[in-house]
Amino acid sequence: MNKRSRLFPVWIALSAVIIIAGIVLFALFGFNTAMDRTESKTVDVSYNVVVELSEENKQFLQDTSEAAFSANGISYDEKLELEGQADPSGSSQSSFYPNGNVFTVRYIFDGSVSSEALSASVADIEEAVDAATFADGAEIYVSSHTLALEGQSEALWRAAVGVAVGAVVALIYIGIRFGVGCALTGLAAAVNDILLTLAFFAITRVPVYAFAPWLYAAIAAVASLAFWLVRCMKLRENAKDPALSALSAEEAVGEVCKTTDKTVFALSGIALVILAVCAACMSVGGAAVLFAGALVPVAAAAYSSMLLAPALHVRVKSAFDKQKAKRARYHSKKRAVRGE
Amino acid sequence: MGKKKSALLLVLYTLLIALLCFICTVSFNYGTDGLYRFSSILEITQKDADLGGVSGANEAYLGGGYSAVYYPEGVISAKEYENDLAGISDEADRAEYENRYRAYADGTLYLEVDVACDEDGTVLESFSAAFDVAVETISARYEGMHVDGARVSVRDGYTIEVFLPEMMDSEYYTVSNFALTGELSMTFGTSEDEATEVFRVRRGETIADYVSSVSAQSSGGTHYVAIRFTDDGTSAISSATSGASSDTTNYLYIYVGDTAVISLTVSEALTNSVLYVSGSYTAESARTTALLLDSAISGSESDLSFTAEDAYQIPASYGSDALMWLYISFAIAFVAMMVFFFVRYGLLAFTHLYTYLLFTACTILCVWAIPFLYLSTEVYIAFLITSLLLSASNAMTFEAARREYALGKTFASSVKTGYKKSLWKIFDVHIVVALFGFIMYFIALPGLQAAAFVLGLTAVFSGLGALLFNRFAWAIMAALSKKQGAFCKFKREEAEDE
Repeated sequence: MNKRSRLFPVWIALSAVIIIAGIVLFALFGFNTAMDRTESKTVDVSYNVVVELSEENKQFLQDTSEAAFSANGISYDEKLELEGQADPSGSSQSSFYPNGNVFTVRYIFDGSVSSEALSASVADIEEAVDAATFADGAEIYVSSHTLALEGQSEALWRAAVGVAVGAVVALIYIGIRFGVGCALTGLAAAVNDILLTLAFFAITRVPVYAFAPWLYAAIAAVASLAFWLVRCMKLRENAKDPALSALSAEEAVGEVCKTTDKTVFALSGIALVILAVCAACMSVGGAAVLFAGALVPVAAAAYSSMLLAPALHVRVKSAFDKQKAKRARYHSKKRAVRGE
Repeated sequence: MGKKKSALLLVLYTLLIALLCFICTVSFNYGTDGLYRFSSILEITQKDADLGGVSGANEAYLGGGYSAVYYPEGVISAKEYENDLAGISDEADRAEYENRYRAYADGTLYLEVDVACDEDGTVLESFSAAFDVAVETISARYEGMHVDGARVSVRDGYTIEVFLPEMMDSEYYTVSNFALTGELSMTFGTSEDEATEVFRVRRGETIADYVSSVSAQSSGGTHYVAIRFTDDGTSAISSATSGASSDTTNYLYIYVGDTAVISLTVSEALTNSVLYVSGSYTAESARTTALLLDSAISGSESDLSFTAEDAYQIPASYGSDALMWLYISFAIAFVAMMVFFFVRYGLLAFTHLYTYLLFTACTILCVWAIPFLYLSTEVYIAFLITSLLLSASNAMTFEAARREYALGKTFASSVKTGYKKSLWKIFDVHIVVALFGFIMYFIALPGLQAAAFVLGLTAVFSGLGALLFNRFAWAIMAALSKKQGAFCKFKREEAEDE
């Protein structure tokens, strides 16, 4: 514990550097919300099915499109097969229903893909379609589009407020149950973990969904609270033990760390393994990224709970103990005066 | 507890858990040629726009969502342009049609001359400004729906693509209504043609001088739209409807632009400052209507009008296999957890297994039954957190009992003391997580809201499971064992000979 406590300035400096860098980069660039595809381009290859296209012809359309993209040196991020729905023009209907006529194969590209290459690909596909023979009446239509997503700010600021208020209320409970000192250290650790997590995504510019940083902040807060609670429970248990209650702040926190390090380490290890398993299972795509990102808040909470929070609590506890001793001296003096 | 009683309770408890697990997770076809399907709760649970899968005998797709494109007046797609052109045989008409439009965005869109662009094909500033206002209005409406996954994009510069998740009840109604733009107005009369304006908006005034706000409300399961009038609005509507009586059929028509969104039968004068419009609204359709009318208070006659077209069903954004892999990841975590418990605690692991299965089944049932909950990766992460909490709580209790048993206490006393020592620890950690979850639920918006609620709810389930159901299972299982210590892999501490 001595080493951990001695290195407190190092932990503080480390957190401060990461958090300040994160704040600066967030202010300049925000998070990289590329997973939401804020800017994207699409190529739609649509065909009517009043005249049924054979499976071979459908495959031909897809092969032709993909060959055109390769020929023009572009690659798509995602391919979707879409079923056309009745135009939403009436208000008596509540749900969409298929019009049974239009099917579209949509290729989604990153916004940075050249528009010229896309136009050339569309032209190549149209040329190949014109040259091919389809069933009579078959209509094949190729188009490319550029999309710019409109931001939604309310969900984000409310998530941020939700995480903050939730953490503060949970820490008020900790304050009532374990004392103000524990609550203050817990608050500092939770704030540190939340900010470290957000800073990580701001600094590394790892692509995330717009909502994801706040989900990670919530995970950081829950993990931080849970890990700190493990320490608080042991602190209180030791305080009731006559052999341990007389220990100095540093010794008391050291004793707690000695007995709870294994638990905190095991809990954070299991959480990390579960999330890694989930990320590996989802293999690629958005869900894998979401799970992989969730490793960061758990790791941040493990860091602060193992290193920063105990070192900080030595100082907090020592200050509170001094105050307590001062108050006890004042009261005993008062009692002595009254006794005279 | 007697052995017979324990055996009976264990059988009943096992049957209950087996039944719950079966209902929650097993789906199969039955009947001739598998005509009918028994769908598990998990299969019919709503999925968000990121997850999705085929469900039921008719292979309906649950998850993903629907998109549509709003075309403003004066803007048509290249497809529509070509189709229209192909349908005109007369050369003069054809030339006239061609002359009416100019290609825009590499020929993806066609803009009408003098409506959206000038003769050179340059977009009119007035059109561009009106389009920007419309994008802002429509985005605010979709954001105001507070639906997880709803999004608005500007497509090709001058059309708007909107997306709503399939899990909504009335996504079609929302998409079609949110295409309406223009000013809010009301008319009153015996028919739509005969009706006259309720608010005679004078120069320098707007409809906001008569209608202050519109909101959706619900009471006793009935959903309605509340239209609040200003003092001037109250006296105007009171005066306009003063002639209404039950003898004649009079209607109040509420318009957004040129479209009547609501028509009400009025049988007496409307004298209150709030008009409550009920009907066959669901919570969603009431919210849609309220948001539409409220945003139309600040609308104007010059707003662009839109037509919704090119609607598609969009599959889950995480891919078609994401749901299956989510279940596989759960299975791996579950097996790993149970292997740990069986290796460490022997047959005592069955108590944790029963508690965990009950916890999982209750969570699945709640996510299915509670209207605002649905399956998403965020919800799954919340469930994983509380799963870990439950497992850690049970392990902590087992360890506490193990330590007591090692000291030489009887089995019953060890379990009792173990629970006594763990009670407040388990209570505190669960209360903290539940508090955090529920508070976040009240503040955040979907989809963090759903995950936060599941976090709070499953923290409660986990607490009850660890303190109540696990102890119950332990009591009935241990009672059936002759060597209770061996049942739990508990050992006495060996005394050293001096």
